[in-house]
Amino acid sequence: MLSAAVFLPLAGALLLAAWRSLGAGAARAVATLVAAAPLALLIAAWLAFDSTPDAPPFQLVEEAPWIPTLGVAWRLGADGIALPVAAMSALLFVAAVAWPTDTMGRARQYYAWFLFLEGVTLGVFLALDLLLFYVFFDLSLVGMYFLIGRWGHGDSRRAALKFFIYTLAGSLAMLLAILGLYLATEPLTFDMRAMIESQPLAGTGLHGSLVLLGFVAGFAIKTPLFPFHTWLPPAHVDAPAPASAILAGVLLKLGTFGLIRIPFSMMRDVFATWAFALGALAVVSILYGALVALGQGNMKRRIAYTSVNHMGYTVLGIAAAGAAVGSADARVLALTGATLEMIAHGLITGSLFLITGAFWQRAEEYDLDAYGGLARSTPRLALLATVAAFASLGLPALAGFVAEFHIFAGTFGVYPWLAAFGLVGIVITAALFLDMLQRLFFGALPERRAEFGDLSVRETTVLALLLLLVVVIGVYPRWLLTIVDAGARALIGG
Amino acid sequence: MLWLLPLTPIAAACVVAAAGRLRSRRALAAVGTTVVLLTLLIAAAAAAGGWSGAALWSRAIELRIGLSPLAQIVAVTLPAVALPIVAYASAHEPEFGLRRLIALLLAFVGAMELLVAAEDLLTLLIGWELVGACSWALIGHDWRDGQSPRAATHAFLVTRFGDLGLFIAAAAAFAGTGSFAYADLAALQGPLLGVFVLGIVAAACAKSAQLPFAFWLFRAMAGPTSVSALLHAAAMVAAGAYLLARLNPDLSRADWFGPTIVAIGAATALAGGLVAVLQSHAKKLLAASTSAHFGLMLIAAGAGHPAVAIAHLVTHAFFKALLFLASGVAGEAVGSYMLRNMALRQALPVTAGLTFAGTLALAGVPPLGGAWSKEAVAAAAADAGHAASAAVIVAGALSACYAFRFQWLAFGRRPEERKGDAEGGEDEHAGSDEQRARMTHPKIVEMPSATELTALGLLAAATIALSLLWLAPVESSFGRLLDSSFPHASPAEIAASLVAVALGIYTARVLNAAPTLLEHRAPAALAEWFALPTLLRSAVVRPATRLSRSLARFDDAVIDRLPEAPAAAFRLASRGMSRLDGAVVDRGVRAAAGLSLWLARSGTRFVEPATDGLPEGTAWLLGAAGGDARRAQTGLSHHYYALIAGGVLVMVLILIAAS
Repeated sequence: MLSAAVFLPLAGALLLAAWRSLGAGAARAVATLVAAAPLALLIAAWLAFDSTPDAPPFQLVEEAPWIPTLGVAWRLGADGIALPVAAMSALLFVAAVAWPTDTMGRARQYYAWFLFLEGVTLGVFLALDLLLFYVFFDLSLVGMYFLIGRWGHGDSRRAALKFFIYTLAGSLAMLLAILGLYLATEPLTFDMRAMIESQPLAGTGLHGSLVLLGFVAGFAIKTPLFPFHTWLPPAHVDAPAPASAILAGVLLKLGTFGLIRIPFSMMRDVFATWAFALGALAVVSILYGALVALGQGNMKRRIAYTSVNHMGYTVLGIAAAGAAVGSADARVLALTGATLEMIAHGLITGSLFLITGAFWQRAEEYDLDAYGGLARSTPRLALLATVAAFASLGLPALAGFVAEFHIFAGTFGVYPWLAAFGLVGIVITAALFLDMLQRLFFGALPERRAEFGDLSVRETTVLALLLLLVVVIGVYPRWLLTIVDAGARALIGG
Repeated sequence: MLWLLPLTPIAAACVVAAAGRLRSRRALAAVGTTVVLLTLLIAAAAAAGGWSGAALWSRAIELRIGLSPLAQIVAVTLPAVALPIVAYASAHEPEFGLRRLIALLLAFVGAMELLVAAEDLLTLLIGWELVGACSWALIGHDWRDGQSPRAATHAFLVTRFGDLGLFIAAAAAFAGTGSFAYADLAALQGPLLGVFVLGIVAAACAKSAQLPFAFWLFRAMAGPTSVSALLHAAAMVAAGAYLLARLNPDLSRADWFGPTIVAIGAATALAGGLVAVLQSHAKKLLAASTSAHFGLMLIAAGAGHPAVAIAHLVTHAFFKALLFLASGVAGEAVGSYMLRNMALRQALPVTAGLTFAGTLALAGVPPLGGAWSKEAVAAAAADAGHAASAAVIVAGALSACYAFRFQWLAFGRRPEERKGDAEGGEDEHAGSDEQRARMTHPKIVEMPSATELTALGLLAAATIALSLLWLAPVESSFGRLLDSSFPHASPAEIAASLVAVALGIYTARVLNAAPTLLEHRAPAALAEWFALPTLLRSAVVRPATRLSRSLARFDDAVIDRLPEAPAAAFRLASRGMSRLDGAVVDRGVRAAAGLSLWLARSGTRFVEPATDGLPEGTAWLLGAAGGDARRAQTGLSHHYYALIAGGVLVMVLILIAAS
């Protein structure tokens, strides 16, 4: 089932690439259908998943030999953290593919790259083999590179290249770390479950710390954490809106997910030694990201920097959960919150980037001061943007709050000061989002925006569905918390 | 079951917001009041039936709601006050966005009910922040001018800053007890208890507009009058004082809690009173008085009498809502909220009369309910020391002063009318109310509708009905509802209090007689919360904005360049290597070529002869050997025999050696 979720979109990408007679509209229809298939499969997997305390952590495992001499195999499986994150990603891919956009006359290729990207990112979330993880992790760069470079606007090639080289450098650091970890296994294997079981680098001192540094560097660039975040704003600003949504909603999660999956799980002792430093870096990201976002006049850059802030919350939760101090209950809360933040941020920031796409399609302008008073002429856009903005600033009854509350309540039990400093971020995000709403939608309508049209039916539907899920998670998160809580408890114990 | 209490108005709000055909004022009034009435009935039934509710989030977290005695009273008071306010809003507010306004007011009530019914800190936080978000939307209701949304943002940010305290309090409770429930707070000890109390106090002071956060209420005046009425009377602002009363037993376990709260409350009561006395803007005067009266509630809560705080919250809710709605009528009538433009007694006699009930209650004049609860606060304050009592009495004097200033300026007679009275000539104005009003008051713009007057009437009736609290049986049954009894002031204290009220009223008369007195710079600055908003702007807002802009520049100029260092290093290295390539490798290649050329040349000179000599030499050697061999072939048989014998000898010797 999981293998099918990875292969179907890849096959769909090949199909689109080969099917020369397909028109733009048909290509989108086919792509939307294919993109929805993994979502359906993952929902089925979710229903089959056993979240009771005694259930095995990794379920629905699929295994096929690949390079037995090196201990590499096609191993897929899911735990209570990977499955919801993967399902959210699949949903976001459906939304991004369904979102109407200018494909510049190359519709088949555009949708093919999206499907390719969907396949490989789901591969990252579902991989249980470290080499497989790495392969998928790097392939995701390729897909995004082409989406930004070929369908972006402005100086998109340069942005794409910067994105590619920067994150590839991170991947290389990670590759070294993977080799360091692999060579410590006995017998040699890339099986993640075996590595989690055996904790190969326990008690190795400097060696373990260097391997951890490699992983953290790689994932910190991907996440991104301060000060490795500067590839993000240009990539976002010049990317087409759906690619931005996927970049923020899915690709950034590869970093935090990898952090949980590899160093957090496979080298607990070493991770605990450095947890506070990582948490402190996360707090810097939270505050710095929020403040710099507030200083931006370009709406897409502003939202891009809030990702630095929100992913900082996620890393803070992960760091607290991996600490050697604090009660198990508090750490479970922190890790649950971090996972929830990945899902919430994916849905919310994905929506926000799609909304910026609506602005670009209509006026080719991201400057906040170029707008105003749009609440009158575009009530649907104003309402949905307001909901997304409030969700992002962490208003209760919306998904972001559930995540952030878990993170702060959990982190406080481990590192109270980090939690207290990090909290200030939620006031700054409130300021920057309210300021953005005010500059876009309130006050007087500039004359040149008189023709600015409201969201189309398709745009409204896509956004409303994403935001509906944000509300559902905010109001009744139990169905989600059950599985995430099971995953977090399996990792932390208790 | 109890979930119905918050969810009914919230669900109704969603329906109203989505019902595009709901346009007429009458329909909106009907729907709005029906929903609030339904909420009132649910609250009453829930209070009587002891309803509760719970919702499981995960193994660690469960949301719980229920109605403690204090919560019951507030849960019922809230819709009771909201009912006339919603009716008034549907008749009074401009057509623009009216449906949205009514929907938001309903959602506001629902969120506040959730806050009131919460029995754990997470539920409380949810209600708390939802109330804040509703207030943002309500204050910024008229978004077209751009000023209201800015004011809304200001109010939201100040209160959200306080909300951080609630986040921290909830986290501290979980860290200490492993749960968010109020019921488990008793287990909280040591430093975590201190953190918890500090967080709650910060959140409550921000929400209830206490010092140092008091000024946000002024900006909140940008919202419609009905919003101000609900916000000040029973929702939002009430949340802080309510929380301090609700969690009083747990909070009091921190020694410093009581004195701190009393100090903050007293400071706000006095400062707010002074601000209100000096204010010339009707709504701002009332806003400052709200801070002051919530300060009185804080004093009661800090002195260990949460029931008294709630009692004053209830009486205050009715008379403050009445006064706000009245100020809206007056402001609408003359097109401005400046008190000096009003003087509407002749023009709006009914409104003036109804307002007077509220004024008396605000001033603390017996036998109004407001006076009863203020005396209860004074008696409670005695437990916190003489200073606290004195502060309450002085605050009462200030309250009387601004109450009567408001009444006399807004609904008093105009100077020329007073002159006419002195001459004994009472004008008889024929015709309708409106004609008479226009004749007596040239500036009149708009007359109150029947709905607005009914709303005022209901609130005035409730304000007057609360006078019954002076009766001992009513008081004791109210005490039973709150599961508490009320402290009584000594006759001396009551006398002092009454004298203070009388002094206050007299001061109001003096001030009104010299209206230009308050237009000097010093009182005008004091009237804007001692310039606290300016201080906030220059000490927090501007630096934060500047910091964010410079950080944004720093990010582009420095952080973005950091990876350029390795990139530049690579570029430098590659350039160096290409130079190396030119300098060393290239020369090396040339040198190698030269070397081989040299080798080739030396080859022709030395190797060639050498190699040539090898075969030649071999041939010569062989030739020489052949010559020697030929010499051996002599043809003489004895030479051959000798050679054979020698050979045999050698072979024998070899065989012997081998064996």
